[in-house]
Amino acid sequence: MRSLSGRLLTAASVVLAAFLGLTGLSLDQAFRDSLQAAVQDRLQAQVYMLLGAAELDGLGRLTLPQALPEARFSTPDSGLYADVMDGQGALIWHSPSLLGLALPFFPALRNPGETAFAPLDSSDGTPLFVLAFTVNWEVAPNQYRLLTFRVAEAQWNYRDQLWSFRRGLWGWLLGATVVLLAVQGMILRWSLKPLRRVAAEVTDIEAGRRAGLSSDYPEELQPLTTNLNALLGHSRAHLERYRHALADLAHSLKTPLAVLRGTLDNGASSAELRQILGEQVERMNRTVDYQLQRAAASGRIALSAPLPVTPVARKILDSLAKVYAERAPCLRCEIDPATVFYGDEGDLMEILGNLADNACKWCQRQVVVRAHPADHGGRRELVIEVEDDGPGIPEGQAPLLLGRGQRADPSVAGHGIGLAVVRDLVEEVYYGRLDIDRSTLGGARVRARLRFQANGD
Amino acid sequence: MRILIIEDEAPLLERVAAQLRAQGYAVDTAANGRDGLYCGQEYPLDAAVVDLGLPDLSGIDVIRRWRSGGQRFPVLILTARGRWQDKVEGLEAGADDYLVKPFHMEELQARLRALIRRTGGWTQAVLCCGPVALDTGAQQLTLEGQVVELTAYEYKLLEYLMLRAGTVVSKTELTEHLYEEDADRDSNVLEVLVGRLRRKLDPGRDLNPIETLRGRGYRFRLERSNA
Repeated sequence: MRSLSGRLLTAASVVLAAFLGLTGLSLDQAFRDSLQAAVQDRLQAQVYMLLGAAELDGLGRLTLPQALPEARFSTPDSGLYADVMDGQGALIWHSPSLLGLALPFFPALRNPGETAFAPLDSSDGTPLFVLAFTVNWEVAPNQYRLLTFRVAEAQWNYRDQLWSFRRGLWGWLLGATVVLLAVQGMILRWSLKPLRRVAAEVTDIEAGRRAGLSSDYPEELQPLTTNLNALLGHSRAHLERYRHALADLAHSLKTPLAVLRGTLDNGASSAELRQILGEQVERMNRTVDYQLQRAAASGRIALSAPLPVTPVARKILDSLAKVYAERAPCLRCEIDPATVFYGDEGDLMEILGNLADNACKWCQRQVVVRAHPADHGGRRELVIEVEDDGPGIPEGQAPLLLGRGQRADPSVAGHGIGLAVVRDLVEEVYYGRLDIDRSTLGGARVRARLRFQANGD
Repeated sequence: MRILIIEDEAPLLERVAAQLRAQGYAVDTAANGRDGLYCGQEYPLDAAVVDLGLPDLSGIDVIRRWRSGGQRFPVLILTARGRWQDKVEGLEAGADDYLVKPFHMEELQARLRALIRRTGGWTQAVLCCGPVALDTGAQQLTLEGQVVELTAYEYKLLEYLMLRAGTVVSKTELTEHLYEEDADRDSNVLEVLVGRLRRKLDPGRDLNPIETLRGRGYRFRLERSNA
């Protein structure tokens, strides 16, 4: 079943049907038991009445008056019958109502005061309730005779009452089921309305009619909608970065191409051509490198798991130890193993790799990589610091190195495009800040502050 | 020095090979990963230049197989992908250095020289043993500060011996490392070259920088002044 409301409605219907069915059966059983108890009480009273009316005649035989207090005993086929049997099961007396009929066989009771009650059929098949009561009748002083009084009542009245009750009971239960299911359906419709709204809004997003999901969803859906919005934002930012990178790439390549075209048109000498060609090829290469690396940044990934920083930093430092094996700088990693980064591993490698590579290029002997979490106005930050003991960067040069305010010219001698790529990653993708100052080691200290929201995205 | 280049771009392969040959290297080439893997396993190489984006067997896999097979020669990777993730992957696989395409030939040569020097335990570009100083960057020999002219083969032979200063180098090893696989090899040429080097390095016949160990080979016997 693919519909949520279908599933919920089916489950609710099954539970409701089971509950109401069991309730109906229990009530039916209880009513039947109480009806039978009432019949038994009534028959018991009739037995007592017969006992009171019974007498012994002069011959010691049991007699009962022709006109009994209960008129139905005197009317044939009235539905109320009685007889009396002796200890051997021989019939001593029966009521006039039993004319032409016989009460069904009923095991003779052996002990005085014993009562038996059962639903049985008469000789003509009429369903009856029969109650038998045994007494020890004193027929002469110290001489007793075992007698069993039996009273039976036709089940017509009982069945009428039972059917009437059942009609009422099941009718009400069915009505209640229909009403409850209708209410359930309405509740489901109301409860699932936000989900339908999500689907409608996603359709609108696909059609380009809206940019993201609304924010006024019930709290159970908030994590879903917030993360969906973050995912949408992430892919939009990614696309934007690609677009900008391509636009910048096209723009930046056209200038050296124009220079080359101009040189060709001017009929430059072979040596001049060679020099200009070399310069422009180098320029184009740097531009392509920079823009491609910038575009390749993945950015903060919605739903991304926290990534421990230490293993990534160790990988980078191990790689640099190989590359700079001749100079053998002392590369220290001072990062708490619990420090984590919320984003793409490739981005973290790019930041750490470029900063540590620059530090290795310029250091005399020492490079230190540090990272620690921080708080910035309620938003979590990861602060990455890379220091060296090289010549450092003169004051006033840092903004130039970081290329602030420049769009796509990363050419700063000695630092390659690494620093510019890191700046773009930190400031444009992770909305943080990249700063350069002097390290206590004597050289430069580059500090990258990467910002994350409270939930890590 | 014998170098293997694995590169699937034929023009680039030819250009790099030609320039390295011009620098005095014996160069073997392979245009795909499988051939390159075989060459690395079978030839006595001093270094290898491996492009990462090879068609059949990636450069990373080639390096991993060499390293797991016990090949220890230094490997320089060439990659068009400048991301640190790719560089780290290559270096973790067993490469010793990387170069991002496009590159200057001078940069490639400098990196290769540094890698080869490192294998011999040298950290400086100038190999100094007593009065003999060999500048591997400028490919220039000086004896007590005076420049000594060398032919290309004399330079190759001296560089190989000085990089392994103090250790015995057999004639077979010298032949294998100085000549390409299909080159015409004549051990008499080696003896002539060693003789000429001795005369240039030791005009006074009192230094004896290259000693002959009969049946075993040659040894550059002057002690390293820097490392």
